[in-house]
Amino acid sequence: MTQLITPQAHLRSEDINVWFGERHVLSDVNLTFPENQVTALIGPSGCGKSTFIRTLNRMHELIPGAGLSGAVLLDGQDIYGDGVNPVDVRIKIGMVFQKPNPFPTMSIKENILSGLKLSGRKVTNADELVETSLRRASIWNEVKDRLNEPAISLSGGQQQRLCIARSLAMEPQVLLMDEPCSALDPGSTRRIEETIEEISESMTIVIVTHNMQQAQRVSQQTAFFLAEDGNPGTVVEFGATEDVFNRPIDPRTNDYVNGHFG
Amino acid sequence: MPVETKPAPQRRRLTVKPTLLGDRIFFGITTGTAYFSIVLVVLVLIFLMIRAWPAFQHEGIGFITGSKWDDSVQPMIMQIFPMLYGSILLAILGVILAVPMAIALAYLIEFLAPKPIARVVTLLVDLLAALPSVVIGLWGLFVFSPVAEGWAKLLNHYLGWLPLFANTSGNFSRSPFIAGWIVAVMIVPIITSVTREIFSQMDRDLINAAKALGGSMASTFTKVILPTASGGIVGGTLLGLGRALGETVAIFFVLNLSFDINWADLTEARGGSIASMILGKLGNASDYERSGLMAAGVVLFITTLLINFLAGYIVNRAQPWRK
Amino acid sequence: MAQVIAAKTRPTSAPWKRRNSRNILLVTLASVLPAAVAAAVTVLLGLDGAIGLLVLFVPLQLIASVGIGGYLFKKRGRQDAALIVFTVFFTVLVAVLLSSVLVAVFEAGLRMMRWSFISQNATYISPTTSLDYGGLGHAVLGSILVVGFTTLVTVPLGIGVAIYLTESRASGRNFIRSLIQSMSGLPSVVSGLFIYSAMIVTHWSGQSGITGSLALMPLMLPTVARVCEEALRLVPTDLRSAALGLGAPNYRMFLQVVLPAAKSGIVTAVLLGVARIIGETAPLLLTVNPSAGTNLNIFAGQIETLPTYLFGNLSLSTDYSVQRAWGAALIVLFLVLIIFTLTRAIGGNKQLKTPKKRK
Ligand SMILES: Nc1ncnc2c1ncn2[C@@H]1O[C@H](COP(=O)(O)OP(=O)(O)OP(=O)(O)O)[C@@H](O)[C@H]1O
Ligand SMILES: [Mg+2]
Repeated sequence: MTQLITPQAHLRSEDINVWFGERHVLSDVNLTFPENQVTALIGPSGCGKSTFIRTLNRMHELIPGAGLSGAVLLDGQDIYGDGVNPVDVRIKIGMVFQKPNPFPTMSIKENILSGLKLSGRKVTNADELVETSLRRASIWNEVKDRLNEPAISLSGGQQQRLCIARSLAMEPQVLLMDEPCSALDPGSTRRIEETIEEISESMTIVIVTHNMQQAQRVSQQTAFFLAEDGNPGTVVEFGATEDVFNRPIDPRTNDYVNGHFG
Repeated sequence: MPVETKPAPQRRRLTVKPTLLGDRIFFGITTGTAYFSIVLVVLVLIFLMIRAWPAFQHEGIGFITGSKWDDSVQPMIMQIFPMLYGSILLAILGVILAVPMAIALAYLIEFLAPKPIARVVTLLVDLLAALPSVVIGLWGLFVFSPVAEGWAKLLNHYLGWLPLFANTSGNFSRSPFIAGWIVAVMIVPIITSVTREIFSQMDRDLINAAKALGGSMASTFTKVILPTASGGIVGGTLLGLGRALGETVAIFFVLNLSFDINWADLTEARGGSIASMILGKLGNASDYERSGLMAAGVVLFITTLLINFLAGYIVNRAQPWRK
Repeated sequence: MAQVIAAKTRPTSAPWKRRNSRNILLVTLASVLPAAVAAAVTVLLGLDGAIGLLVLFVPLQLIASVGIGGYLFKKRGRQDAALIVFTVFFTVLVAVLLSSVLVAVFEAGLRMMRWSFISQNATYISPTTSLDYGGLGHAVLGSILVVGFTTLVTVPLGIGVAIYLTESRASGRNFIRSLIQSMSGLPSVVSGLFIYSAMIVTHWSGQSGITGSLALMPLMLPTVARVCEEALRLVPTDLRSAALGLGAPNYRMFLQVVLPAAKSGIVTAVLLGVARIIGETAPLLLTVNPSAGTNLNIFAGQIETLPTYLFGNLSLSTDYSVQRAWGAALIVLFLVLIIFTLTRAIGGNKQLKTPKKRK
């Protein structure tokens, strides 16, 4: 039995079910994300990984027709609870998207500060914040001389690290990453994996990836999602990354991680 | 992991409505402006209706079906059929002239011409669209009318046995034929732009497939491009028809209005146009006559609104990718 | 080896690419001969130019092209030649009509251009006063004021509608969109009648600049709203997600991310809106009382505008006043051309424009 000894349940999903209109796409997802650990979500295309990760910071409800049941607890507090403002949730739980999406009308520096400005907060010692955020995303050396250039002048890999830095500047407690490396070359991918390792010392990370090696390299625990023949997607196996990849319990997990389907 | 049967999960209510004060204000204002556009259209209808009521009430259905406008009797008689019919005749004539031009322009721009030429022609069409109707009217009166009169005489000379080109009065100026051309010039851009849009969004693979099957340019055009784009072309034509019905100043300059109904003698100097009639008569109309003109405005407004709604519906349906 | 390569790269079989001298001669003949014959016959018989074009050149060209197309490529050549001739003919026809308008306005209008015409107003000017006296300065000012006020009122409304259509999730969006689409076909005379019946007949306000402005508003609104909507729609959803994911409320997301990205599109919308109404005549004829003197108060009194000046002078129909009308037409055209050029120059932010996807 792959059972995790959890230091502290930082973020938890309880019985998450998701619908798009009448279509049931996720069923009974129960996952625990311990503090300062990296959790990888793997599974074939269309099984609902992106959908699930979007429920974790209330981006899901922005899609017309989206439905949800269950709860997501951050430090024991339901983020879908009455009176909880989705905007506050998204400040605490940051997100990095599949395609790099820096704001094209802003400079590199403005992009880093954009989160604060967008959420209406005061920016004190901006320069320091910009530098630490860029350093943590290990892109500081590449951009320190061109902070006022437009962000879209960067390469794809740099843009993605800029987006990570942009999220880091908000000092989120949790960072959600939906296939952050899928549009990048191997070199950039490696840099981002290093970044993930580094920042996981101070925050909880959930990452969706199609890359088995990446999951094994960066994560401590792994959840395998699967949607079979028109059934809603669900978690087939969840446990320490070691175990899920080397000693899977479910034969379907075994097939998937060994590349037999999906 | 066998799935146990258990009660269906309870859906939670998700925040669809903005909760923040700032967002509520933001969406409140924008929703307000959107509703204002509804209010505006309704207000137009209400105000015209109020003023038009005496005329509608007195004339009844005859207002639309009758053919007399006489202020020598008390109360005066106001019936607009010749104007209504004239408007429709002009619109149809304009569309007949404009649609081939528009399709040709769109085909040239999207399929035939090399990029630089296509760009120039696009510019041309956009420029034509930007010309105010008063400028076209001025040109129509002094430059185009004499030329078109020549064409009309020629048509009458060779095709005079057709009722369309018969001309008993011998007066060829300010005829529906001339005004129809002016209308065509005014509506070519809109039909072109809708047709072009449809052409440009058309699946290139479909066209390549037709060519790969050995289709010539011409057969690809008639068998593939036109049928696929037909919905959009019809929609664009309807939009043009709507514009044609509402065209005012340009027609005012080049058409002789007459309540002596002209069914189809295109080259006679007798025609009708509701919009121009309103413009021509409102200045020195009595209170009651003004009511009749407002009523004519109501008829014009409702007709164009319906045509435009229909056109919009057809164009949108012809462009499923435009959600 | 070298020979093989040469044989492969040289265009060989495609018949439409074969260019031997006989074909070139035929095609050249087909494109030159009809024009030459038509021109010669037209000149010799003293026919009207347009008639020569219509009844001589087009059929001749059709016969020549179709004949040679058919001779070279059989049936498909004939059809294609006919298609090309018709397409080119209609395009040239539109081009001729358009350039005829432009040439006429510039020719007659330029004759009228002199400093006094632009700087003076029309007080003490009768239809027979020499063209060296009086002008349309007052009309230019009036137009700027009237159109400016319309813009002031309409642009916020139009942007608001566009935001509603792109940013909100309200269910009424489709209806509003079709309504705006239909409003763009609102006959301008109806818009004039509306303000006439709502404000002037009811004595809310006499005919003034304001009534004119308001009568132009329903005509400008759909243009601004539609073009703005397109501009906002071009801003990628990714950016919106990024902003929301950072914890931005919708209004900040819009103001700080979407609006800057759509800036040039919105400027274009305003310009196109102005171009739409700058020459509108019918609504102003019903709602504005033209004056000969300068009036800078749009809230009261008679005021002249360019379109009403043009129309008024044309109605007087003396040689001089018609000349003045042409002058006014040139000024209007000039303004339209400036706006037209500006919109081209702005063009829209290319970085943000995602290439059209074909599905
Ligand atoms: N906006 C939407 N509206 C309707 N259905 C959706 C929407 N987004 C996703 N779905 C459906 O929900 C299911 C899960 O999609 P999701 O994007 O979460 O899959 P995924 O696991 O992230 O796949 P991938 O690995 O390809 O990114 C799919 O069947 C998809 O069709
Ligand atoms: Mg995904």
